[in-house]
Parts: sequence; C-alpha cells; structure tokens
Amino acid sequence: MNEMRRLVRLFAAQKGWMISGLAIACVTVMANFWLMTLSGWFLASTGIVGLSSFAVQNQFNFFTPAASVRFFATLRVGARYGERLVTHEATFRLLAELRAWFFGRLVPLAPAGLKDQRTGDLLARLSGDIDTLNLFYLRVYVPALAAGITVGLMTLFFAWFSGWAALWLLVGLGLNGVAVPMLTARLGHKAGAEVTSTMAALRTHYVEAAQSLPELLTYGAAPGALAEAAALNGRLQAAQGRMAGYAGLSLAASGLATNFTLLAVLVAGIKAVTGAGLNPADLALLALGAVAAFEAVAPLPQAFAQYGQIKAAARRVFEVADLPVPVAEPAVTAARPARFDLALEGVSLRYGADRPWALEDVTLRVAEGQRIGVIGPTGAGKSTLINLLLRFYEYQAGSARLGGQELRNFTPEQMARLVTVVSQRSHLFHTTIRDNLLLARGDADEAALMNALEVAQLADFVRGLPEGLDTVVGEAGIALSGGQGRRIALARAVLRPTPWLILDEPTEGLDAGTEAAFLRDLAPVLAGRTVLVITHRPAPLALVDEVWRLEAGRLMAGPAVAALHKA
Amino acid sequence: MGQGSAAKAPRIDPRLMREGKRTRGALKLSVLLGMVAGWLIIAQAVLLAHVVNGVIFAHQRLADVTGLLWGLAGLFVLRALLAFAAELAAFRASRAIRAELRHDLLAHMFARGPVDMAGDASADLAATLTDGIEALEPYFSRYVPQMALCVAVPLAILALVLPLDWISGVILLVAGPLIPFFMVLVGYRAEAINQRQWQKLLRMSTHFLDMLQGLTTLKLFGRARDEVAIIARLSDEYRRVTMEGLRVAFLTSAVLEFFATLAIALVAVLFGARLIHGHISFYPAFLVLLLAPEFFVPLRGLSLHYHARMTAIAAARRIYELLDAPVSPRGAGVLAPMARVEIACEGVGFAYEGGPAVLAGLDVRFGATGMTAILGESGAGKTTLIKLLLGFMPPSAGRILVNGQDLAGIAPESWWGQVAYVPQSPRLLHGSVADNLRLGAPDAPDDALWAALNMARAAEFVRALPGGLAAAVGEGGSALSGGQVQRIALARAYLKNPRVLVLDEATNSLDGESEALVLDALTEMAASRAVMIIAHRLSVAERAARVLVLDQGRVAQDGTAAALMAAPGVYQRLRQAYGEMVA
Repeated sequence: MNEMRRLVRLFAAQKGWMISGLAIACVTVMANFWLMTLSGWFLASTGIVGLSSFAVQNQFNFFTPAASVRFFATLRVGARYGERLVTHEATFRLLAELRAWFFGRLVPLAPAGLKDQRTGDLLARLSGDIDTLNLFYLRVYVPALAAGITVGLMTLFFAWFSGWAALWLLVGLGLNGVAVPMLTARLGHKAGAEVTSTMAALRTHYVEAAQSLPELLTYGAAPGALAEAAALNGRLQAAQGRMAGYAGLSLAASGLATNFTLLAVLVAGIKAVTGAGLNPADLALLALGAVAAFEAVAPLPQAFAQYGQIKAAARRVFEVADLPVPVAEPAVTAARPARFDLALEGVSLRYGADRPWALEDVTLRVAEGQRIGVIGPTGAGKSTLINLLLRFYEYQAGSARLGGQELRNFTPEQMARLVTVVSQRSHLFHTTIRDNLLLARGDADEAALMNALEVAQLADFVRGLPEGLDTVVGEAGIALSGGQGRRIALARAVLRPTPWLILDEPTEGLDAGTEAAFLRDLAPVLAGRTVLVITHRPAPLALVDEVWRLEAGRLMAGPAVAALHKA
Repeated sequence: MGQGSAAKAPRIDPRLMREGKRTRGALKLSVLLGMVAGWLIIAQAVLLAHVVNGVIFAHQRLADVTGLLWGLAGLFVLRALLAFAAELAAFRASRAIRAELRHDLLAHMFARGPVDMAGDASADLAATLTDGIEALEPYFSRYVPQMALCVAVPLAILALVLPLDWISGVILLVAGPLIPFFMVLVGYRAEAINQRQWQKLLRMSTHFLDMLQGLTTLKLFGRARDEVAIIARLSDEYRRVTMEGLRVAFLTSAVLEFFATLAIALVAVLFGARLIHGHISFYPAFLVLLLAPEFFVPLRGLSLHYHARMTAIAAARRIYELLDAPVSPRGAGVLAPMARVEIACEGVGFAYEGGPAVLAGLDVRFGATGMTAILGESGAGKTTLIKLLLGFMPPSAGRILVNGQDLAGIAPESWWGQVAYVPQSPRLLHGSVADNLRLGAPDAPDDALWAALNMARAAEFVRALPGGLAAAVGEGGSALSGGQVQRIALARAYLKNPRVLVLDEATNSLDGESEALVLDALTEMAASRAVMIIAHRLSVAERAARVLVLDQGRVAQDGTAAALMAAPGVYQRLRQAYGEMVA
C-alpha cells in the first residue's frame, strides 16, 4: 500500500488527466446501466399498456422514454471512446514522468552507488518494471475508483424500487468486486512477484549471452547458456501457470457471484411485486439492471491479480531509486576557484566501513599548470584517485583542496566543468560520431569537430567513412576498434578546454607506432592545463614533470623523470 | 519496415497459425469450452425471460417459478466450471510455443556467432526474446479462440431470434457483419502504426541500456542531467506515436460499441412501439433484449483482442526476422582428438561484404608449439586473421588447414574444443570467480582453479577477494579492475588446456610488472601448445619466439624479433616510432 501511495504522489503533476479519465469511465458505466434498465422497464410498461384499453394506450407517454433510450445509447458510445483515449493518454504521460524521474534518481548514484547493480538488471527495472507500473493507473486506479463511485449510484437507484434488491445487489457487487479479487490477489501475490523477478532474470541472461558470444562459443558454454535460459523460462511459465489457475478460479467465482446476485434480486423483486405492490414493470428493470451493474466491477478481478506484479515492480524501482547517494550535497557550495592548485593532505578513502583503505594518508600537491604522472600496479588505487577528484566518492579523512577550497564543497557537476577525463572506460554511445563528440561541447561547429578529430588522429578515418561524422557507432562502439574508440574519447577532450585534464591510461590499446604519434599530438592539447596522467605504460610519462607511485593505497615519490626517459 | 508493412501483414498470420500446431489440443479445447459457455448463456436467457414474463403477465408467484429458478442456479454452476477450465486451456495454448521460440532464437544466435550477430544490439535482442515472445501469448490464448466464438455464438443466437421476431433478427443480422467489416477497414491502418510503435519501443530500450552503461561518461561531461530531458522527450514521442495508433485502434471498439448499443436501442424502441398496440407479446421482446447484448459480446471480445493480435504480429515479425537471418555455411566434420595442432593458411583472403579486401593471399604456418606475436598497424588485418583462425567466419578465398584438414569442413564446436580465446576486452559472466573459471572445464577441482590462477598471476588478488573463489563478479566484472578481469580470463583459458591459445592484446591492462609475469606464464604455456597473440607492445613481441608483421592484409615480415630488428621494414619503423618516445 505504501508503494501505491507513493506512486500516486509521484504522479501529482498529471492529476488533471488522471481525474478526467476516471470521470469519463464512470459516465460510460452509468450510461449502459440506465440504457439497460430503462429498456427493460420500457418493454414491460408498453407490454402492460398494450393489454389495456385504448384510452390508457393514448395516455401513455411513449416519447420521453424512447428518446431517453436513444440518448443513453449515444452517450455510451461517445463516453467509451473518450474514456479509452483519455485514460491511455494519462497512462503514457505517467510513464514518461516515471522514466525521467527514475533516470534522474540514478544520475547522482553513478558510478559509486550502482557498483553492485547489473546494468541488464537495471534496464529491466527501468523499462520492464516501469511498463508494469503503467498498469497501475489503467488497471488499478481507474477501475477501482470508478467501481466505487458507480456501485454507490446503482445501489441507491435500486433502493428506490426495493430495499432488498438493493441490498443483494450491493452484496453481490461487493463479493464480485472486492472479496473475490482480494482472495485471488492474496493467492496470486507470490506467483506475481515470481513472474516479475524471473522475467528480469531472463532478460539479464539474454543481454549477457548476446554480449559474451565469443566466450560462450569458444568455451563450449553455449549449451549451458541454452539450458539456463530454458530453466528460467520453465520457472517463468510455472509461475505464469499458477497465475492462470488463480485467474480461472477468480473468473469462476466472480461469475457465480454475478449470477446468484441476479437470482437473489429476482426473488426479492418477485416478492415485492406479489407482496409489497411493486409495479410489475419494475421487475424487468431490476432484472436487466442486476446484469448490467456488474460491468462496473468486471475489471476488478484483473486489477487485483495484477496488483501483486505492480507492487513487486514498484518495490524494485523504489529500491534502486532509494539507494544512498554516495556523495552528499555540500552544505556550502564552493565558488569557481580563481586558481586550480590541488592540495591533498593525509587523504584517506574507502568504499565502505568494512573495506580496506583504497587511498590511505595521501599527500600530494599539484600547482596549476603542473603535469603529474601516477604509476602503480593494478588495484593500487589509481582509479580511486580519479573518483576522489571527480567527487564520485566521498573521502573519509584528511583534507583535499582545490584552489584553496575544500573539495567536499564542490558538487560532482562543478567538478565535471573543471576536469576532463580521457578514461580507459570512456563510453561510446550508440549514435553518430558527431553526437558522440557533441557530448563534450554541444555548440561545437563542423570545423571544431574536425579539428578535434585531427588532433586525435582520426580525421582521415572519419573522412573515409561514407557517412563521415554521421556514421553511427555500434552498440558500445563495437564497429570501431579499441584504438579508434579511444581516439574519439580524446577528441572529446580536445573540445573541452577545462583547466584540469586527467589522462587515465591514455594510450592503452594503441600500438606502439600510433601511441608515439598520439602522444606527440597530445602535447598541444595539454598546453595551459593542469594534467594528471595515470598509466602503467612508460611512454605517456614523457608528458609529465613529476612522477608519483601508488602502492596499496599509499602514495610515494616515483622514479626521477629524467631516469625514466632514458630507460 | 514500419511503413510498407501493412501489405505484408497477412503473411505473418499463417506462419503464427503453423506455430499453433504445437499446442493444437489446448487450442481446440479452449475453443470448445468457449462455445459451450456461449450456448449456456442462451439457455439462461430463455429461463430468465420465462420467469419475468410469468410474474409480470401470468401473475405467477414465487412458488410457481421455483423450478425455473433452480434450473438457472444449475446453469450458473456449470458456467463457473467451464470458465475455470477455459482459463487453464488458454494458458496452455501458447506455453510450448513460447518456450520453443525462446530456445530456437537463442540457439540461432549461437549458430550465427559473434561476427554475424555484431549488427544486433543486445538490448534489442533481449527485448525480443522476453517481451516480444510474451506478446504472442494473447494471440494464441485469446485472439484465436475468440475468432471461432465470433462465428458460433452469434449464429446460435440468430437461429433463436429469427423465428421469434424477424424484425429484430434482421437488425442483428445487419449489424453483426458490419462490425468485422469496419474493423478490417480501420484495422489495417492501425496495424501499420502499430509496427512503428513496436520499433520505437525496441529503440527506447536500446537507448536506455546505452545510457545506463554510459552514465559515468555522461556525468564526466556534465551531461547526465540533459539526458533526463532526452529520456522525457523520447517517452513523449513514444506516447504520441502510440496514441496515434490507439486513436485508430479504439475506433474499432467505438464502431462496435456503436452498432451494439444502437441495436439494443432499436430493438427496445421498435418493440415498445409494437407492444403498446398489442401487436406482439412481452416474452419474445424481453428475450431478444436479453440476447441482443450477448450477440455482440464475442465480437466485442474480438475487437479487444484485435489489438493484441497487432502487437503479436509486430513482435512476430521481429522474431522471424531474427530466426530467418542466414547462418554462415559451417562444416560438419569432427576433428580427431589430437595432441598437436598445426595450422596452415593457404592463400587466405577476406573481405567484408561489399568492402575492400582486409586480408589478401595470406600464406602462413603456425607450428604446434611456440608463441607467435602478430604485429601491425591498425587496419593491417590482425583481428580479421584471428577471427578466421577461430572459425568465427570462413575466409573469402583460400583455406585454413588444421593438421591438413580444411577448417571450413569442420564443425566449429569441434574446433572450439581445441582452442581457447582471450578477446581484447574479455567478459566475465555474472556469477562467482569459480563459475567463470569453470566455463570451459565444468568439472575442474578447486586446486586446478588455483593452479590456473597462479599461472595467470591472479591467485593473489583472488585470495584477497571476500569469499575467494566464491566471490561474485559483476556483469563484465565491474567489481574488478580491467587488469584483474584480464588475468581471470587468462586463467580461464589456461584451465581449458587448449591445443591452441589465441589472445587479442591480452596484456593490455597490466602494468609492466604484471605483464612480465603473465608473459612468463604464456612462454611456459607455449612449450606445449601454439600461442598466438596480437601484440601492440614491443615488449610482447620481444618475448615471442616468432613475430609476424602484417601490413595491408599481407605478411610483411616473419621471423624472430632480433632478426626483424636488423632488417629494414615495418617492424623497424614501429620500433623506431616507439623508441623515440622512450629514448
């Protein structure tokens, strides 16, 4: 219930659409109810009048009820179409709202807060679960509230003719609309959650299989992957089968409730006609009304059956959205500093209280315009240094200052404006080369883009492509070689003249010849910037003035630059 | 597709119906149960009309109609049982179809291999395999049975109504067929729009995966916040296109509602006019009024499930597109178990479809042991050569011989049993370190795993992981550094104990010290098997027994590093370019 209330609160912006859809849904149901009751009463009345004298026949007002029948028929058609349009419009608006909200929640989490989440699983949450949440408005919110409102109106209408008939109608509608669905929902709750989670697992499995084809094939693991997919599908379908069983039970039970209500209303009506002097024509009205009324609660069993799935999806979505943000918003936001010297004093950082220090008591000074190299074995903390400077992770001890202001007072967004990273994990988006470059500077013109590619030694290659800058890069940049992808990442850096530049394994994946040329062409890009080079290859160290060495989180003086260059 | 697809739409239905053969029994049962339920409704209307007529016009009391009321109660129970059974039959009608299509699609993906599948985005594939196949469910469990009901139930009602009152019979007879007619009319347009919507949905989920994987990069450029707006915009576009489709699709149901409601109103008003003058009696009039809505119920169901059909057709089109994608010709031969593997490339050439030759007239032999480093500038054909050696694709010209047997005639699985491959960015599967190591050797005991990790110089950090061998590695090993992933991948390759080991820049993410250790291990491995490694670093070339330099798709140089250093050529050029920086 908590999740549902939270969903409704999230959707506050679309309240107008939500309530309009609900109102039209009520009109649709009531138009049909009055069409049927009026038609039944009309036939019985005219039948009775037909048997009486000519005078009575002439007195009977034929036209008002006949016109009303036509009116309700027209209203019904129009309202049905309007209801469909408005409720779906509202649904898609809510979907858009929800997607953007969820992505917005992920932004501050990445990458620190998302370390343990699988991206395939995240996708399942983002699109699959949010599509499931879609059903909340269309299949739960509208039917439930519309049923409540119209059931009240119909019961009052019945009470005008017979108190007992009204009571039985209310009981029947309650059984059909509330008791049966609640029971089935309770039964289907586990299976519903199982369907959602197994489907997500299946999706992740397929993403992984598609991305790991070379490994799965050459290791003979394809049959295993097929078997695992079959097992997951088996689990999914077993749960779906249980859901189908509950759906069948629910259908049978609600059918029974509907039909026995008709029977009870009939008996009450017959007793009223013979005993209490109810107009006989009203018996036809009650009989047809008792059947038509159930249209209001017909969607409820399905609503309750889906309630379990929706709730599970909502929980999963909120669970990710509520992950703790790894970097707190600064209490006092730093102004853009005038100078960009960095001073680390005894800084320590670890990814959790039970984890070892990733950086321990690190002290480092980098003056503006200086170029520093950091070397060290894999896992020594080089990447953590970057996480620290970009404000992806909070440091727990020591002081870190940029231009004299404590790093803690900078937001990650501010740091992104001051620092450009050429990383070994720069992502190439599945879009054109142009868009991948524009990411770095949205207003760059063609000449600027080509110049950046020129510096990155990729201009000739791009010019040689039939579609040039507008060539689409495959998923995760598969169509480009590792080296070419790196060069696009570099071209992005060229487009952003930030005061700081971090080169994170800048030449990895490049062959020796290209590496040398690349480093040569990099030199002008470094001019006027403060540069941090993180590498385990010797060649990029030719760019720096000073080398430090990281080992098990501790920073120490590295080999003299002159010695390095001679080696 | 999208636009011109409406004309092709009818071809998907027969193919889907052929799938229906796999569950024919359940489909037939589901139709039968539906029909019986429809006929019971007619019987119920007859009983109800008798009761109401009796009370109003024959002045019967409750006791006089008790028998009829008991009859009604019996019918109600029977209908409940049928409804339960029908739901189970409907589920079974598509279960096997979905399971088998999932299996076939994934198996087909494996049969096509990484080269042919390179053009398909993994999120799109996953969406087709999950949501796409689920979209077929309502087609078999709802739409197909409803088609049969649409004929059987209205005909039975008509057969009852016509003799009772021919005027109402004619109204129903006219209104009934108009509905399918109008539905087809609007339906085809809606179908074309629906195709576009499905494409859009697929594109959206690809876009999301891409954005999620690149979220860090977006943040680095301060663009993540903009992306929220882009996602909102894409969702908005999705809404507009979908609503465009739905506006038309809902017209079909509006048309239905129109005829159904109109028919009821007409029946009521016309009967009223005749009743008031005593031309007919109440019983037939009331029975027809009870049956008129039921006449339209199956048709209404069809319109409800027609949308499901369109979604299913759109999904099926993508499914069949994937299933029908050609598989490159593959050999069927089996390699005899062998202790030594010698490979010979004879005049091997390769060009991607319509592209220039990447490899041309390549003649090279690889002995059963020893490490060969493959060097060359970007685009020289190193990766292509490796893909050919791995049997991911056949050469366009010439042949590759494995111990004298043409690789093109050998089943890839048989060849993969002899080789291990460590790609440029190896992927670790979601699971534990041990699961990943055992990928190619499921029965290997723990000490064999540790031995392999020792070989790959990975034992030390694995031991330090919480849980050791049982430590979970995220998708793509995101909890590990690039170098650690690479070393686990190396250990995985060692553990398989292959005759041929192929590595693509496998020491890339390692620092100098780790690299030297891994190269020691590779040298050790090469004593008893062939090792081929694409090298971007001269340090690797210097440790290899043999260096093969490719240039523009041909072997430019072939020899020991020392010999190549002495001779003018590409190697010297590479070496000088590199040396300049270091010196």
